[in-house]
Amino acid sequence: MAALELLSAEGFRPDGRRPAELRKLRARMGVFAQPDGSAYIEQGNTKALAVVYGPHEMRGPRSKALPDRALVNCQYSMATFSTGERKRRPHGDRKSSEMSLHLKQTFEAAILTELFPRSQIDIYVQILQADGGNYCACVNAATLAVIDAGIPLRDYVCASSAGLVEDAALADLSYLEEAAGGPQAALALLPTSGQMALLQLDSRLHEDRLGAVLEAAGGACRAVHAVLDRVVREHVRELTALLGD
Amino acid sequence: MLRTEKVLQLRSQQGRSVRVVREHYLRLDVPCRSALCRAGCPGDGKLLSDDVTHYVVPDWKVVQDYLEILEFPELKGIIFMQTACQAVQHQKGRRQYNKLRNLVKDARHDCIVFANEFHQHSYRPREKGESMEKWQTRSIYNAAVWYYNHCLGQMPVVMVTEDEDAIRQYGNETEGVFVISFKNYLDNFWPDLEAAHELFDSIVQARHERETESQENNGKEYPEHLPMEILEAGIKSGRYIQGTLNVNKHRAQLEAFVRLQGFGSKETDLQSDILIYGARARNRAIHGDVVAVELLPSQEWRGRIVALCENETEDKAPADTTGDPMPTGKVVGIIQKNWRDYVVTFPSKEESQSQGRNAQKILVTPWDYRIPKIRISTQQAEALQEYRVVVRIDSWESNSVYPNGHFVRVLGRIGDLEGEIAAILVENSISVAPFSEIQMSEMPTSSSKNPWKVNPEEEKKRLDLRDTHLIFSIDPKGCEDVDDALSVRTLPNGNLELGVHIADVTYFVAANSYTDVEARARATTYYLADRRYDMLPAVLSADVCSLLSGVDRYAVSVLWELERESYEILRVCYNKTIIRSAYKLVYEVAQGLLDGDTSVVDDIPELKDLDERTRKKKLDELVWAISKLTDIARRVRAKRDSCGALELEGVEIRVQLDDKKNIHDLIPKQPLEVHETVAECMILANHWVAKKISENFPHQALLRQHPPPRQEFFTELRECASAKGFPIDTRSNKTLSESLDKADDPLDPLVNKLLRCMATHAMSNALYFSTGSCSEEEFHHYGLALDKYTHFTSPIRRYADIVVHRLLMAATLKETKDVKDKVLSNKDLEELCRHINNRNRAAQHAQKQSTELFQCMYFKDKTPETDERCIADGVIYSIRTNGVLVFVPRYGIKGAAYMKNKEGLVISCQGDRSCEWKPGSLQRFQNKITSTTTTGDSVTLSLFDHITVKILVQTSRCHADTVKLEIIRNAPYQTSVTEVSQKNFNVVKSDLVKEVSQSAETAQHTQEKARVEVIEEEYRQYCQTKGPSLYQLLEEIRDLALLDVSADIRT
Repeated sequence: MAALELLSAEGFRPDGRRPAELRKLRARMGVFAQPDGSAYIEQGNTKALAVVYGPHEMRGPRSKALPDRALVNCQYSMATFSTGERKRRPHGDRKSSEMSLHLKQTFEAAILTELFPRSQIDIYVQILQADGGNYCACVNAATLAVIDAGIPLRDYVCASSAGLVEDAALADLSYLEEAAGGPQAALALLPTSGQMALLQLDSRLHEDRLGAVLEAAGGACRAVHAVLDRVVREHVRELTALLGD
Repeated sequence: MLRTEKVLQLRSQQGRSVRVVREHYLRLDVPCRSALCRAGCPGDGKLLSDDVTHYVVPDWKVVQDYLEILEFPELKGIIFMQTACQAVQHQKGRRQYNKLRNLVKDARHDCIVFANEFHQHSYRPREKGESMEKWQTRSIYNAAVWYYNHCLGQMPVVMVTEDEDAIRQYGNETEGVFVISFKNYLDNFWPDLEAAHELFDSIVQARHERETESQENNGKEYPEHLPMEILEAGIKSGRYIQGTLNVNKHRAQLEAFVRLQGFGSKETDLQSDILIYGARARNRAIHGDVVAVELLPSQEWRGRIVALCENETEDKAPADTTGDPMPTGKVVGIIQKNWRDYVVTFPSKEESQSQGRNAQKILVTPWDYRIPKIRISTQQAEALQEYRVVVRIDSWESNSVYPNGHFVRVLGRIGDLEGEIAAILVENSISVAPFSEIQMSEMPTSSSKNPWKVNPEEEKKRLDLRDTHLIFSIDPKGCEDVDDALSVRTLPNGNLELGVHIADVTYFVAANSYTDVEARARATTYYLADRRYDMLPAVLSADVCSLLSGVDRYAVSVLWELERESYEILRVCYNKTIIRSAYKLVYEVAQGLLDGDTSVVDDIPELKDLDERTRKKKLDELVWAISKLTDIARRVRAKRDSCGALELEGVEIRVQLDDKKNIHDLIPKQPLEVHETVAECMILANHWVAKKISENFPHQALLRQHPPPRQEFFTELRECASAKGFPIDTRSNKTLSESLDKADDPLDPLVNKLLRCMATHAMSNALYFSTGSCSEEEFHHYGLALDKYTHFTSPIRRYADIVVHRLLMAATLKETKDVKDKVLSNKDLEELCRHINNRNRAAQHAQKQSTELFQCMYFKDKTPETDERCIADGVIYSIRTNGVLVFVPRYGIKGAAYMKNKEGLVISCQGDRSCEWKPGSLQRFQNKITSTTTTGDSVTLSLFDHITVKILVQTSRCHADTVKLEIIRNAPYQTSVTEVSQKNFNVVKSDLVKEVSQSAETAQHTQEKARVEVIEEEYRQYCQTKGPSLYQLLEEIRDLALLDVSADIRT
């Protein structure tokens, strides 16, 4: 069997998308009542759940508290059933610690932490089904959950991945495309200001191509932003309707 | 933004079935790429023209099989559906897919790809239980219908398919969309396109042939092997038989035999081997594999082929030349694969071109005839054509005629001496890398200036025989590794004491040390025709463990007390000792002393510098000892003879070769009595040591057995002997040895020699074994007529002896120390014995093959027409249906001589008895063969006839060259040649080796050799002059550096 074509001559990707097209994005906010904020997101077959507690007082050692801003604590995990084959994933393996760290950096940049000195904000994300772009799904879910918790943000944080296949930049890679091993970048963007909260690039990529990849990822982030914004507005409309009763 | 939908897909990866869910997005904006489109599809790039009569949609199967026809530029308006493209990509591979892609890209071709699977309306999900093929056809049909409707019915669409069901089902479903077969399509739409029709026919035919072929074999070349559990159960129940596969070297493709494991199975009364006839019955087993065999019903049994034949001519009809039917079977499973590294040769340029230039897979021919050709894939085939190459077999699937393998390394050029020797070593799995640093670091240091000395502590533990015993060694000329020495003296009580002293190698080679592990892996010293590969590093074998005269050495001694008159053994003791050999004698000198020949005395270096009186005294002592020894040996031998010990031609030669360092100057011209004396003492020592260790370790002693031969193997011997009128009684070793002694033709001593040779052939080889693995009756040594035997006397060159030494040490110390853990367990020992036996066999093969190599190289440069040396006298020792087997005593060559050549001509005799080829026929009798020409002349050759043969070398690219014999005269070469040749035999053979190796050396390595020698010389010089003072040492290093530079300049 010959290797799969990631981009056919007709300009289709294996799942029928064109290079710049995203997978279907669906999201809901306020899926749980207990935590302060929660959200569920589907990006194609990648499904993630995010939960936010806080801001609240420091738990654990008080010495960790920051005098001038809130501490953002993130935890990333994958469900054992999230991949094709069931696999036990103990907490704190290297991959998820790294992912937790990235999430933390992303949200420290987006949340107005200086409003809550000496307090703590916990963000827990779990991947329920993994099909590429785990980080992006987590960021997007967490953004919605943070908004749901009513924590002030500078802007939406929207994330999307992009890759490069034969000089064409593909947005929002699926697992199949990620596994092919080409260069791949993950971008978390604050869309209104155009500031980057995080940019991660795996494998080597020539400088000349970086622009195309960033553009594709940026475009995808803005598209994500549009969807997220719609979801938030919808959610708020529902809430106000409930309050109105 | 876009309409999406998802599908589930099941697929398996790497054998495991994994459920993968993939998204599948459907859309409306898939461009149709037709000029007729009125729906406003984005129409950039190539468009399908609108001036054709119809659009054609090929089915996936048509695209796969008939792409070449679709490539015709005459065919226009082709729509390749995405489904069909993917089918090509997945099932036909990249090359075919790229062809399709290029076709679509080509602007001159009127064809497009339509992504039907991404279009919301043309996509059809695969239904549950629907086969892939059916779904693909359905998808393509639906896409065709969509396309027809999309173009608003302006253009009829023809779908061509090979699926009859589809034609029936969809044929009339939609108006305007026709579903017809490809043949039909060509006939109706392109009746004038001759080339397309021809191509179509040839493709169909080729496919048809392939299919019928695969149907016959069920798609497989070989039946599948049965699973292991069934084999095991079958072997237990007697349904299958387990054995080792031996391929007949001369008919490697047809005949193989399975030798039963164990000596004759009790349940089946099969005495002989089982014949495996043909490649299919052999079922992918390779020579040496342990296989399970199922017997065929007896009416399908067949006989082995008895005609002489060469491997090249396989097309002979074998039916008319078979012998009596014998048990025949087929391989049902391989229990243990014994694949090793194989030496192969790549096909030459002419051959490879016929195989197809771009073929990446290449069939290589192994050096060993018994191994099938191996398919390997490599890019370097052309570069490797001239070389001998090592490959390894990876797998052999049931649907493949040949096994798959991969290239490992290059050995050397074809025909190159070093390359060929390396090939022989690899073929016998002999690995003889130089000893490593770490092994050498374990070795004691010894040099000529600073010799190894006895350790005073060790001295106390050992019995000191240095002053009390007159010890001497008798060895061939130039021998360095003296591992045995003898002594005899009169005890105070008048009895005699006989001593055999063997070098104590185990003192230096601790069990499981690096050296020990290496020695165990080698198991023996390998002697090739021109060189040898030591089992132990030279510092041990040639120095510290060698029982040289005048130096102190550690030894293990066996001392017997003999009754003074009858030489009955009264007492025996085994000791660790320190000895100092007084004389290092040479066989010829010892024999001279024994015969009272005083002229040899000058050849004894130890006696040179003495004054006349002491010299006389010492000489008397020595002569007394030697004659006493001979006396004892005679008595012991007589006793053994009375039990039926055999004197066998082959065995004798081999043992003598083993003793040598280099063949040429070491083969004695004729056997001397001293040889026998020494051998007898060694046998005695081995025998007594065997007794001791088997008593002490009844379940874990290493002994050597020689099982009695099967009677049916003697048939040939009996027949041959009866041709000369000698009765041979083979019932026991005693009767055999007596009748062999009697079977002596006074006119032709070769007859006896050949008969003994055949007797040796009929016997199985002696083997090492662990006493725990068989019952005590089987310990017997048939050839030596001893109840227990082992190898103890050559620890320098045989690993078995090292093991026996350790066992003996453990046995003698048993009372004092706990030695249980020092001795190998029965199981380990059994494993070790198998390994040593294996290596011994490899050593013998390697030696034989290297001798043959030299024979061939010797005769290669001679022109047989003119050169005297290529014509020799031969003796017929076996008769076959189309020729005779001939032994050429002058060169020690055995070979086949044909009486019927490839054109069917037979040999005939002229008046002067010289031979010619003429048309005629052959008739074979038991002891003779007659060739009758059509003109009525006839020639009869019978067993033991002397004939004149011409020696030719049959060169072969892939295999070892072979010596070929051609009968040129039906008469002895010279009348008195037998006498002369026998004497010359060894000398000539040694000359041969010398000559060949010299010429090869000069041809190849003159330059390097010269350089190496210079350096070696200087090194030696450095060693010799190494003085005790530091100043001197430094001076010499400086000198050496200077010399080195000058050496560089010189070369």
